[in-house]
Amino acid sequence: MSMSPSILSVLSEDLLVRVYEFLDPPCRKTWRLISKDFLRVDSLSRTTIRILRVEFLPTLLFKYPNLSSLDLSVCPKLDDDVVLRLALDGTVSTLGIKSLNLSRSTAVRARGLETLARMCHALERVDVSHCWGFGDREAAALSSAVGLRELKMDKCLSLSDVGLARIVVGCSNLNKISLKWCMEISDLGIDLLCKMCKGLKSLDVSYLKITNDSIRSIALLLKLEVLDMVSCPLIDDAGLQFLENGSPSLQEVDVTRCERVSLSGLISIVRGHPDIQLLKASHCVSEVSGSFLQYIKALKHLKTIWIDGAHVSDSSLVTLSSSCRSLVEIGLSRCVDVTDIGMMGFARNCLNLKTLNLACCGFVTDVAISAVAQSCRNLETLKLESCHLITEKGLQSLGCYSKLLQELDLTDCYGVNDRGLEYISKCSNLQRLKLGLCTNISDKGIFHIGSKCSKLLELDLYRCAGFGDDGLAALSRGCKSLNRLILSYCCELTDTGVEQIRQLELLSHLELRGLKNITGVGLAAIACGCKKLGYLDLKLCENIDDSGFWALAYFSKNLRQINLCNCSVSDTALCMLMSNLSRVQDVDLVHLSRVTVEGFEFALRACCNRLKKLKLLAPLRFLLSSELLETLHARGCRIRWD
Amino acid sequence: METEDDLCNNNWGSSSSKSREPGLSDGGNQTFAGFASQQKWEDASILDYEMGVEPSLQVFDEMKASGQANVDFLQGVRAQAWDPRTMLSNLSFMEQKIHQLQDLVHLLVGRGGQLQGRQDELAAQQQQLITTDLTSIIIQLISTAGSLLPSVKHNMSTAPGPYTGQPGSALFPYAREANNVASQSQNNNNCGAQEFDLPKPVVVDERESHVVEEHEMKDEDDAEEGENLLPGSYEILQLEKEEILAPHTHFCTICGKGFKRDANLRMHMRGHGDEYKTAAALAKPNKESVPGSEPMLIKRYSCPFLGCKRNKEHKKFQPLKTILCVKNHYKRTHCDKSFTCSRCHTKKFSVIADLKTHEKHCGKNKWLCSCGTTFSRKDKLFGHIALFQGHTPAIPLEETKPSASTSTQRGSSDGGNNNQGMVGFNLGSASNANQETAQPGMMDGKISFDESFSPMNFDTCNFGGFHEFPRLMFDDSESSFQMLIANACGFSPRNVGESVSDTSL
Repeated sequence: MSMSPSILSVLSEDLLVRVYEFLDPPCRKTWRLISKDFLRVDSLSRTTIRILRVEFLPTLLFKYPNLSSLDLSVCPKLDDDVVLRLALDGTVSTLGIKSLNLSRSTAVRARGLETLARMCHALERVDVSHCWGFGDREAAALSSAVGLRELKMDKCLSLSDVGLARIVVGCSNLNKISLKWCMEISDLGIDLLCKMCKGLKSLDVSYLKITNDSIRSIALLLKLEVLDMVSCPLIDDAGLQFLENGSPSLQEVDVTRCERVSLSGLISIVRGHPDIQLLKASHCVSEVSGSFLQYIKALKHLKTIWIDGAHVSDSSLVTLSSSCRSLVEIGLSRCVDVTDIGMMGFARNCLNLKTLNLACCGFVTDVAISAVAQSCRNLETLKLESCHLITEKGLQSLGCYSKLLQELDLTDCYGVNDRGLEYISKCSNLQRLKLGLCTNISDKGIFHIGSKCSKLLELDLYRCAGFGDDGLAALSRGCKSLNRLILSYCCELTDTGVEQIRQLELLSHLELRGLKNITGVGLAAIACGCKKLGYLDLKLCENIDDSGFWALAYFSKNLRQINLCNCSVSDTALCMLMSNLSRVQDVDLVHLSRVTVEGFEFALRACCNRLKKLKLLAPLRFLLSSELLETLHARGCRIRWD
Repeated sequence: METEDDLCNNNWGSSSSKSREPGLSDGGNQTFAGFASQQKWEDASILDYEMGVEPSLQVFDEMKASGQANVDFLQGVRAQAWDPRTMLSNLSFMEQKIHQLQDLVHLLVGRGGQLQGRQDELAAQQQQLITTDLTSIIIQLISTAGSLLPSVKHNMSTAPGPYTGQPGSALFPYAREANNVASQSQNNNNCGAQEFDLPKPVVVDERESHVVEEHEMKDEDDAEEGENLLPGSYEILQLEKEEILAPHTHFCTICGKGFKRDANLRMHMRGHGDEYKTAAALAKPNKESVPGSEPMLIKRYSCPFLGCKRNKEHKKFQPLKTILCVKNHYKRTHCDKSFTCSRCHTKKFSVIADLKTHEKHCGKNKWLCSCGTTFSRKDKLFGHIALFQGHTPAIPLEETKPSASTSTQRGSSDGGNNNQGMVGFNLGSASNANQETAQPGMMDGKISFDESFSPMNFDTCNFGGFHEFPRLMFDDSESSFQMLIANACGFSPRNVGESVSDTSL
């Protein structure tokens, strides 16, 4: 202890900064607890921050003067008043902030946005996605941020062409914009966007009711590189023809689920852009024909292709792979014609493959998987959902050869058994594993996963009724970095097993739906241990009593979303939960048999200033006070009446 | 040079051979005599080039006075462009009329002997009858002669005028000429009125009464730029300001009532006697005097406002196509906008028809630009925004957020609010506009029915215009109704200010 100050005193501040830069976020937390010097380095070097509680916003902004990225997306209670108060606070410096995440900040409206835009002169990136109240007025306010380069407005349902026009006129330097699900946007808005923002590089118009006229405008964007138009029902091949001679810089196109787009539309895109790297055409082409393959052959730089849902014969799969050897990702889900022969030929050609989606390809067997595993040693993601013919033999090859495998989806592969899991556990880099509906696995298999896959971040065991408390205990011991765990309908689990979950300190997403055997004890243990828990699904956990909920209310301060449907929570416990969980934003409160109308009224009053989404039984609409409902609405909360 | 001279002389020769008729006037001789000499200095320029020389009043008077002979002379001059047969039929028609009148007078004289002791009343009636007939003959004569005049002038203009001797006369200053033309057209009107000594000044169709103002392009640059029409392939007429702004252009020769359009006059004339109910009397005079087969020189019009692009002296002169165009152009561009929209109190117009058109849509223009311009269609607004840098769509009002429970009840009142807001916004800067200004606007609207018919004068097949009548009525009433609504909303200037400040956010 006496030595350490002397060593540290040798290190100059800039050296400390260099060291600090190598640390990952959890270590940085430790770092700033070491000494005042270290804390100072931390406060000066930190550039990004995600605020969890609005109360600390001014203090944190003051402490970290060099912030360039501010994430307020999980910050409840953020509203116009907070922003205005912040603006009046002279000590806070927001001039350096370039990136602002306001996703789901439904209570921030035009006034607040205008203030924010004024405060942050250097603003370049803004995310206002899923703000359903974000409309034209808000867009007008945001348009005063003239330096804006990236803007994400997904699901801004109230935004119309007028608002978009305000933004494109105000922020003509935009080079990336996402308008996904902005259902009011029409051709006129897109046309103006393309006329005003000539430097646009990335454009997302997915789900919009735009027509070919928009594509004609888009084709005039000389710098456009990425174009996403998933599920645009009015766009057809004639529209895609505009792209053949337009948008010369185009590299990535996504026309997934565009009903009227067919192969000829794709051909016109491909013909015009031989340098294209990414082509996603899932569920819009019915068949991959020879003529299409002719054009695909010319694409030497193609890295990603999604042709899910198309009829792809084995021969065309081989032709495809033989011409596009740099292919890194292919989506072939629901391509029911794909068999082992095709996959073997494909695997031989595409040695760099990293992502393979074979979901619902019913004829694919272990042979194909083995071939892929042996040839494509860089495989990182493999999706085999509903490939019923997969058995432990295929998984054995995966375990042997696919050392880089990070994500494996075996949902509904009932050929997977404990032996298979043992093989999989050899993929030591595995981060995401989905075993939902694999009913043939037991504690033994889970034990292998728990003991070897220490890097696992996500594990889905939905309806794996074959394993019990011992397996869960092994998982909890081994997979310490798990942050997402789905145990719904694993009926064997009891308090004994569930209590072990408390060891998973990083767990943030936990689904315990339909576990009838767990009680308040188990829940209390989880609440006590998993401090980071943000999402908890307790639907149909009928035997959890108030003690569990009390504990939850007391410990799980970070809980953001909770599903209490069909729970036997009482009036008081619900009030306690709702008032104590200061970050809760999304609550499902359907079929709570022990809660009275007054209980709902009080509980919702306690949390009405932070709720964003609420699910209630329809009759309550007329039983709850209109005052409460008005407040909820005004605060940007959407209520779904079940 | 030689060949050109020859050509011209030949032309002239051939035409003059026809025109060697007993009635050839001295004025005509003069012009003829001077023609050759003019060619000598003019031949350097394009052959077609013709000088807008100030016509001598003398020549004009002579032409009118000497009747048929003069017409014959003109015919000779324009042999290549005119169908003499038409002229002949016109003349024989007039002859017939004169004979009829002669018979009538004979009859009256004969009867007058019998009914010497009758009342003065009858005499007055007879006199009126004859006057009417005479008037119609005179009108016929004028229109026949008048239809010739532009082309006469066309050729006459090449005759030596006061400037003939000047070597540089090809480059006469425009302004000087414009003035001359102006004064001259004034003279024309006067002389028309004096000569025929009618109860009211007879103003014949503008096309005919002002033909003398024909003018050819002189500037070579202009000639080259002369769009699709070659210089000389059309003639340029220029009305005077007073004529453009005159409320009526057609007057009843009997009672003096004025009309905007010829068709209305003819309808009116039916009330003056059965002779006006004949098909010939009701037919379009144009069709009579100018049959379709006749190859006419295209007419184009010049705006009398100096410096205007539509003025013939403008470097990049763009002629106006019809007299209606002249009228609308002059009013829109060079006159005060005295008609204010009774709904928004902001938009002002100088042409009543424009006000009508606007009022039809006023209030429905829900697409607003930050510059204050309103659009009835979103695509127009967006086109405007794309065109003008810095313009953005304005967001009209802070939408009131009805709570979930009361939204249904407040639905209708919300609509009212929006409407009111709309009006408030339209008011914009002219927030001081009040109801007083609205009243005259409404009055004007009612008065203006005649005016809105003015196009009929100039359309070839314009009875469709009558269909507009009931529609206009309806629109008018609608507009006043809506104005009442706007009043009933009772928004105050304060509200207006608020809404404006809202949009400026």
